[in-house]
Amino acid sequence: MSAKAITPAERYTAVAQAFHWLLALALIGIVIMGLAMAHAPLTPATKFKLYQLHKSVGITILALAVLRLLWRLTHRPPPLPADMPALEKAGAHGAHVVLYGLMIGLPLVGWALVSISPFNLPTVLYGILPWPHISALSSLPRATKAAWEPTVAFVHAYGAYLLIALVGVHVLAALRHHFIIGDDTLRRMLPGRRRPIMPRNPAE
Amino acid sequence: MMRLLPLAAALVLAAAAPATAATWTVDPAKSTLGFAGTQTGEGFTGRFKTWTGTIDYDPAKPEAAHVSISIDTGSAATGDPQRDEAMPGEDWFDASKSPKATFEATGFTPKGGDQFETAGTLTIRGAAKPVTLPFTLKLDGDTAHATGKATLTRTTWGVGQGDWASDQYVGFGVDVTLDLTAKRQP
Repeated sequence: MSAKAITPAERYTAVAQAFHWLLALALIGIVIMGLAMAHAPLTPATKFKLYQLHKSVGITILALAVLRLLWRLTHRPPPLPADMPALEKAGAHGAHVVLYGLMIGLPLVGWALVSISPFNLPTVLYGILPWPHISALSSLPRATKAAWEPTVAFVHAYGAYLLIALVGVHVLAALRHHFIIGDDTLRRMLPGRRRPIMPRNPAE
Repeated sequence: MMRLLPLAAALVLAAAAPATAATWTVDPAKSTLGFAGTQTGEGFTGRFKTWTGTIDYDPAKPEAAHVSISIDTGSAATGDPQRDEAMPGEDWFDASKSPKATFEATGFTPKGGDQFETAGTLTIRGAAKPVTLPFTLKLDGDTAHATGKATLTRTTWGVGQGDWASDQYVGFGVDVTLDLTAKRQP
């Protein structure tokens, strides 16, 4: 493990870190909800409520991910370790591009899925804010919706499996950098410890 | 001239007699048209915010009574934003194509005391189906107060299309409750 303290320039900004950890939390939550909705033996009432919450969190993730992408495009992230092999760097960049794609794409596919569902159930985010359907899909004839819904559901589900796998790789890679290679890759995404402030008097 | 007085009195009485066969108009502020159903096994209640009703009723001739109720299907409200947005949709009341539901019934069958029953036609989504409504009716001067309840099967009128035509998420039985106060029209 690197003994030297890392400087603010080598760390992600507080905003970037907030986006990262908020989205980490939201993604873990929505994946657990999604898997439970699809596979757990829940009562219809619980399942129904979970679907509504899943939609709300999904749109929240979409908003957060779009804002995060804008932040990422306008703020250069701290560099990867200089001694990191070029292939690993390319792999890391590629994985992050796909992660961003999924964070934005999966909610969009989910929105399409809700819109094309023959249930035609309105979405009200967190039970408060009405969220429209994609009208090009929701206005399709019922038979067309019923025919296409399984395809959209398939893309949403397997996109989610890909996200789960990539997040797993992302976490393992961060842990490898931290514990095995001993570089600052993980610490770049952690809040810096406050520098000790000289107490004005010893009693403080 | 004096001999005509009894005749005049008789004519006046005759003219007054139809007044007992009055038309009563529902007072919306004092009346509620409610409904109760189940969604994923949990009960919910709601009401129609906008509806009108008139009743022709002569206590001496209940068999000639007539009730006419017109309901704005788009005014159904349960307090749940998602459900309230869904109900006017084409799977449910289809309020854009069928903005009104109506109940028309002729003849009140006395069931003893304040109890009556009327057999009428309830039209929702253009489907006219028979409904029997038991109710209690109390008259107090120019005010009539009626309460009744009918249990309906929503799919009889096609309320709940496509995947909603099963009771997987929304139960078939809907209790419709009527609590109306009507004023005798002068």
